[in-house]
Amino acid sequence: MRRSVLRPTPSIWRACGQTLFLLFFLTLFVKTDYAGVDELNWAVNILFRIDPFLATAAMLAAKTVIALMLPALATLGLTLVFGRFFCGWVCPMGSLIDASRRLVGRSVASPPRPGRRQLKYLLLLFLLTAACFGLPLAGYLDPFSILVRGLTFSLQPGLDHAAAALFTWTYQQAPAWVNMVTEPIYGFLRQFVLPFSPKVYGLSLFSLFLLLAVLGLSRVEPRFFCRKLCPLGAVLALTARFSLLRLRGASAECGKCSQCRMVCPMAAIGESREIAAGECTLCLDCVSHCPRSRFGYGIKRGGGAPAPNGNDQGADLSRRAVLASLAAGALAPLALPARTQARHSDPLLIRPPGALAEPDFLDYCLRCGECMKVCIGNGLHAAWLEAGLESLFTPKLIGRLGYCEYNCTLCCQVCPSGAIRKLGKSEKQAVVIGRAYFDKNRCLPYVSATPCIVCEEHCPTPDKAIKFREVVVDNHKGDQVTVRQPYVVDSLCIGCGICEHKCPVEGDAAIRVTAAGESRHGSLAGPEGY
Amino acid sequence: MNRRQFIRDVLLWSAGATLAVPRFTILTDARAEEAPAPPLLAVAKGEDYGALVARALQPLGGMGQFVRPGDRVVVKPNIGWDRNPEQGANTHPQVVQAVVRQALAAGAKKVLVFDRSCNEQRRCYANSGIEQAIVDLNDSRAVIEHIDQRKFVPVDIAKGKALSRWEIYRDALDCDCYINVPVAKHHGLSRLTLGLKNTMGVMGGNRGSIHRDLGQSLADLATVVRPKLTLIDATRILLDNGPQGGDLKDVRRIDTLIASVDPVAADAYAATLFGLQPADIASTVAAHNMGLGEMALDRIKVTEA
Repeated sequence: MRRSVLRPTPSIWRACGQTLFLLFFLTLFVKTDYAGVDELNWAVNILFRIDPFLATAAMLAAKTVIALMLPALATLGLTLVFGRFFCGWVCPMGSLIDASRRLVGRSVASPPRPGRRQLKYLLLLFLLTAACFGLPLAGYLDPFSILVRGLTFSLQPGLDHAAAALFTWTYQQAPAWVNMVTEPIYGFLRQFVLPFSPKVYGLSLFSLFLLLAVLGLSRVEPRFFCRKLCPLGAVLALTARFSLLRLRGASAECGKCSQCRMVCPMAAIGESREIAAGECTLCLDCVSHCPRSRFGYGIKRGGGAPAPNGNDQGADLSRRAVLASLAAGALAPLALPARTQARHSDPLLIRPPGALAEPDFLDYCLRCGECMKVCIGNGLHAAWLEAGLESLFTPKLIGRLGYCEYNCTLCCQVCPSGAIRKLGKSEKQAVVIGRAYFDKNRCLPYVSATPCIVCEEHCPTPDKAIKFREVVVDNHKGDQVTVRQPYVVDSLCIGCGICEHKCPVEGDAAIRVTAAGESRHGSLAGPEGY
Repeated sequence: MNRRQFIRDVLLWSAGATLAVPRFTILTDARAEEAPAPPLLAVAKGEDYGALVARALQPLGGMGQFVRPGDRVVVKPNIGWDRNPEQGANTHPQVVQAVVRQALAAGAKKVLVFDRSCNEQRRCYANSGIEQAIVDLNDSRAVIEHIDQRKFVPVDIAKGKALSRWEIYRDALDCDCYINVPVAKHHGLSRLTLGLKNTMGVMGGNRGSIHRDLGQSLADLATVVRPKLTLIDATRILLDNGPQGGDLKDVRRIDTLIASVDPVAADAYAATLFGLQPADIASTVAAHNMGLGEMALDRIKVTEA
């Protein structure tokens, strides 16, 4: 079973491949940021564009072909040839699951039980039908979305805050010789790993929890998520059943040795050593461990579809379960028009510039968190259930936390599905995402005749949307003073939120932005409009 | 020693070090050298900004008067906004470049350029053209750096009337020569933003709150951050929708530079370019009243260079 160290086992090759793809993915992730020019050259969004599950769900939801997501066909094509290699070699989530297996425990595979792996197919059916009938939930379970959200909202900012705390301490307290070592390290991290400026994100702990849950489920069974839940895995498994190339070789004639079955993380090898092509992720652990080197990778024999009744070959779905999934997916959206959002949407739900009209936006949006990652004003945050069950993790602008940078178009560029349209700078600057209004009970020039107008200073439109009147009022001492009282010119305001962000009043800003007046199609009047 | 004991010891022994808050005290009296009366102010006009900077400094004795060989110099332009040079919201990159070049020629050991911007910092540095202008100098002594939050240190403003203590960027305080290179432009609240207002770029914390008493606050700030040289960029002046502008119709190109050792005099004279009087700018008046410089135009010796 054990080979000489000098001869790398096939599993090692796979691990190298996984490492390379993971590093590539992490590089793309870090590069999803402003890089000194208006155009984004590198972005992790390519990962989402090659995801056939998200592509299918978004296209079913939008009922159109989304050209941006057509690269997903390449993944399907490669899977048709090579099998479900993507899960074993490329998927960054799979690599992380493998890497964390020791931490999570249970490094020894349990005796092979296919278990309820049909769950992922049922989930896939439900998610696709629901998407088609108007309840787009695909992004909630997509492995890339879970991963990028966890990294963006929690891990990277958390790492940044930890590093800042440590290196601030060394910088301010430690002697010079310590800083000779620590400062270059911090400089390197700042340049290549950490975000440019400290960031905060809504739903940060929740996103971290989801990511850790996916990793932690491997304690129950190896690659639990990939085996039983991952809807992308389900799409690839269904495709890989027809793949041209596959692993084979061992058979019932091997005798009592079940090494391959014991090590298979996907429980893809049946009792007579037949390999379920849909489940096999080509991790090559069986090849590495087979004492008689019986496994080989080659063109499938026999031709035609796999045996329909082969216990470990088929998706093993009961007709009842399939119908239930389809029905649930089709019926769940029926309840949606009864929600209050249908009549009055949350005024604080401010979508990024270029976002499609709300129903389309929800259909297209992959909940991948890319726009929030790239937002240099740290203004975009994950929504909770403001727009209903399907609005979780969709982006919204929170003016008090950040703002939309006037000259920046990065979210429009990074969106992998076109839920946020790609806009040029001047186009984007003309988009109204909301409007600001003053709270005169908090605004200093109104409340206490105190000069301020920081909002006016920061208002970015060339003809400022915040203007002021010079008025003479009595201050608290009874003296007459001249003060500049600001007001918003609705026709000029685009809702970028910088006024709310920079307002120096503590607590709630004295100027706040709502989605009122946004220029997206279809949101001009509700069904009950006057 | 077990682990618990070790952790306890470490905490005990390091407590003294971690509890000490770094604190700067600027002895304003020691640093305040009375400007020779009347203060000298140079005004120069021209389209070649490299030569313009040299000409503006000539009546003051050239850059060598301010920068000694081996000095650590800070050049503080206005890089506050994500605007390009033509829009006149930031100091013109060629002016900044020329000032840095002059300081290098005078033998500076290091010339640091920075500003705490209002828009996203990387965008401001790039769009203003100032980052590229410094890189183009191709001199390792000239450094443009993004704000490092760790460098803000609390400073007592002993003479302050509106501010008694504020976080200020360390490099602005412990350099050998601080050169203020603001751009002259319109501002909604203070009417104009000039030299004293530009110093806000070294302030940490919630700067917006000083707008409640902006003029006096800026004067207070000027008691601790004292430029050896103020060079006001009026090559393009923004007449409306300041301080960030954005509409070229609001920009007037007048190709002018103002240089003075007296920060108040420089601001006072710059106000006249907008048809205003020095007394119209609250910070000029407040700083003058605190004895930080001259604002009466007839007591400033203006030399056209």
